Amino acid sequence: MTKLRRAFGAPLSALIVFLAGIWILGLIAAPQIIMIEQSFWTMQRPEGAAELSVKIDALYNRLDVLALDHAAAPDEAARAAVDAERDAVQTEITALEVEESTPVKTWTLSNYGQMGKAHLAIFAKTILASLAVTAIAFVVCYPIAFAIAKLEPPRRAAMIMLALVIPYAINELLRVFAWQMILNYGGPLNAALGLVGIGPVPFLESGTGVFVAMVYAYILFMVFPLYNVLETLDTNQIEAARDLGAGTIQIHRRVVLPHARPGIAVGCIMTFMLSAGSYAVPYIMTRGTADPWFTQLVYNRFFQATNWNVGAAYALSLLVVCTGFIFLMMGLLKVRLRDIAK
Amino acid sequence: MTVSARGMEITLSAAAVRFAEFQAVHPTDLTIRAGEFFSILGPSGCGKTTILRLVSGFLEPSEGGVQIGGMPMAGISPSDRPTALIFQNLALFPLMPVWENVAFGLEMRGWSKAKRRARALELLKMVALDEQADKLPSELSGGQRQRVAIARALAVEPAVLLLDEPLSALDLKLRQHMRAELKQLQRETGITFVYITHDQGEALTMSDRVAVMNAGRLVQLGTADDLYHRPANAFVATFVGETNRLTGRIEAVDGQSARIATPEGVFVAVNTAGLSVGEQAFLFLRPERLHVLEAGETQANSLTGHLVRRDMEGAFSTLVIDTGQSQLTVHRVNGGGPVVPDGPLRLGFSQEAGVILPLSETAND
Amino acid sequence: MSGQGSGLILRLYMAVFFVYMFLPLGIMVAAGFNAYSPPSVTVWQGFTLQWFGELWADQRMWSGLRNSLIIAGAVIALALPMGLAGALLLGRLGARAAGLLYTVMVSPLLTPGIILGISTVIFWRNFEVAGGLFTAILAQTTFVASYAMLMFMARLQRQDATLEEAARDLGATPLQAFRRITLPFLRPTIVTAAVIAFLQSFENYNTTMFAIGGQHTLVTEIGSRMRFGLSPVVNVIGIFFIIATITCAVVWAILKERERCAANGVSA
Repeated sequence: MTKLRRAFGAPLSALIVFLAGIWILGLIAAPQIIMIEQSFWTMQRPEGAAELSVKIDALYNRLDVLALDHAAAPDEAARAAVDAERDAVQTEITALEVEESTPVKTWTLSNYGQMGKAHLAIFAKTILASLAVTAIAFVVCYPIAFAIAKLEPPRRAAMIMLALVIPYAINELLRVFAWQMILNYGGPLNAALGLVGIGPVPFLESGTGVFVAMVYAYILFMVFPLYNVLETLDTNQIEAARDLGAGTIQIHRRVVLPHARPGIAVGCIMTFMLSAGSYAVPYIMTRGTADPWFTQLVYNRFFQATNWNVGAAYALSLLVVCTGFIFLMMGLLKVRLRDIAK
Repeated sequence: MTVSARGMEITLSAAAVRFAEFQAVHPTDLTIRAGEFFSILGPSGCGKTTILRLVSGFLEPSEGGVQIGGMPMAGISPSDRPTALIFQNLALFPLMPVWENVAFGLEMRGWSKAKRRARALELLKMVALDEQADKLPSELSGGQRQRVAIARALAVEPAVLLLDEPLSALDLKLRQHMRAELKQLQRETGITFVYITHDQGEALTMSDRVAVMNAGRLVQLGTADDLYHRPANAFVATFVGETNRLTGRIEAVDGQSARIATPEGVFVAVNTAGLSVGEQAFLFLRPERLHVLEAGETQANSLTGHLVRRDMEGAFSTLVIDTGQSQLTVHRVNGGGPVVPDGPLRLGFSQEAGVILPLSETAND
Repeated sequence: MSGQGSGLILRLYMAVFFVYMFLPLGIMVAAGFNAYSPPSVTVWQGFTLQWFGELWADQRMWSGLRNSLIIAGAVIALALPMGLAGALLLGRLGARAAGLLYTVMVSPLLTPGIILGISTVIFWRNFEVAGGLFTAILAQTTFVASYAMLMFMARLQRQDATLEEAARDLGATPLQAFRRITLPFLRPTIVTAAVIAFLQSFENYNTTMFAIGGQHTLVTEIGSRMRFGLSPVVNVIGIFFIIATITCAVVWAILKERERCAANGVSA
């Protein structure tokens, strides 16, 4: 802090700390903490609510009895006594009813238990499918990134990457929508299959569409990080390895892949996170006909079932898996956070 | 000359700097006189730049204090000190044209644009760069950039100019030229110059006085002659200039001289360090003070050896003599006598040519 | 010999990959000009511009565009100063504190977008603020500021620290040194960061969808139209997006090229 003040002076330092503080505490930390907190409690009927309602019922009966007593009261004094008791009973009923109907904030793990078998299956499917998307993206993109970075002359490589920026930068929704058209019943793919006597195949309704569109939508998030690290690999290293007798596979295993570790980590983390956290792709590709993606369940918890505590628990489960994947990749590839966020 | 500034005295009193576990500068007392050209010489990491930052105000001493012109500087920011810095990389502002660079200090002092441009042009004229005023620093040559940095520093009329190895990026010829220019500038302005360098050539040629630093300590303070001829310790003897080093034991002491027994022989040499009989010590011999003795010639000290190599250096030759115990370097002026034949020979040196100093760290360790 | 052979295979593979990347976009563009609705390329009923007209008359698209621009403007105004403050702070902290802070500041980029959206809504619900433009702005700012921080940090790392010191030595206050030296040095990055922030905000779907409540932006509106793919109006919007993207990419490439030439020119 003294270093900061020395460098920027008191007023500017105060402004810097203020702005960074709002961002870090107000925008990043506080919402996450509140979400975590929310996932661990629920509003419940108070303990002993059942006994309370029995008691209230009894008091209502008493009220009825008192009404009869009132009618049958012999004189003013007796009537006044009945009235007094009726007022007292009435007050007690009101108090008990408030107590019975006010939910109590209860700490619990039950929000996480709300995921029944069906939801748990969707959760697992989402994660497995996302892992598959990530693996496919890597297998498809590695040769591409290597070819552009190491086999093309630098000027041409730059042009090719610029061309790839176009599908990369075009809105995710449009890329997904293109595949919705292609895989639709009346789409070009089914038309082509029809020519050879197959189909029509319900790509969208079976969930295949989600997977295909997801690979297409997120594959470029693998190409760019891979290309960026491979570009920094000294071509002489490859030639030296070949000169020393290494074959193509050995060159990749011993020289290229180790160098590409940070890029692989970034590519895999981005692809996995985008897939597992994707809302647009399943939303557009299934039209609600196929099994939902886990993100859709989260959305429904909040905005349809309006159970925010369970929703928070669902969202947190997703966050935990994604964070776990990041740590897994960082550990497997021995990459630090600083290498990733470039 | 249009710069009217008066040099100020700088005093460090027991000033020390500590970074966490690392003592960058041990408590140091030092007075730099008003208007002198003062150099701080030492290997990289010796603490010389730290001292510069103490004076400029980018660092506060962990202990002790700094005074400039008799004023204590504690708590006074770099912008309020009567000092100006010339950075090692010059630190010219790349996005501002040359004249704005020079006028920057005046802008910060609230001068009007017309006034500060006029003044900047005046200063640029002084360094023969007025034609380049509207160029960007990146369009100038190395030497020109150097002069812009000087003009920029002088614009704020500092009493003390601090120079952090400003010539290190230049090539040899330009460097020698700039040495002369800096020295002249210092004489004309009368500003106190504090010049940081690891290049002894720069320090010895330009300075009125030189402080030698090693490992965060001031190890000797003196004129160029003092450092070269009368080194106070083994570090200075080896860091400044070339030297031969013998190791031996003091056999006798007589006033300012002593007799030392080394494997190469027994010699009498200067003992201003006051070593006493029985102590182990170094004997330092400058290569140009060693003479090849003709047959029959005698000198106070002599030893025998064997010529193993001869390197022609132009004005002089370097002879490498193997004594059987060590190899000695001898500089011999070319044309100053017959060519030394290969094979056995005798070397001699006068009593004043050898300096006896206690065993301690040398610059070659 | 084998090197050439595998090179050829790789080239061929790359060509297939490019067809895979661009063909779907081509199909989408083509359907935008087909008179047949719902959007299709298999049933061709002739070239038309009628969907452009329908888009022009679509009030919800216009209001979505307006909301998108409002959000993007606010996000730029918030995220850039916050990101810059974060980057400046990082540069002046001890190694351990900086490491921790850095992790927190990049964490929004490694968090699924829906989580950023939903946690913002949950947080503000405690203050009786329902989902809408305000929460969408805050949720987007959370991660856009991370991008800005990374860009400013990269730029600041390339700044010569002695420049600020030189300014201070010549009598500048810290504020003056910042305004006169650091800010001009950062100017190109401020422009780039603003453009990136605009694009990130304008194109965002996931975070916005969860944070915006009953409101809509252009992109969330497109999303809900696409689900049932009823009218080629969405294809027309797609055409505009593609044109805008290509324009941006080309402009960016030209600027890069010019910068490269300028750099070469100076050193030559």
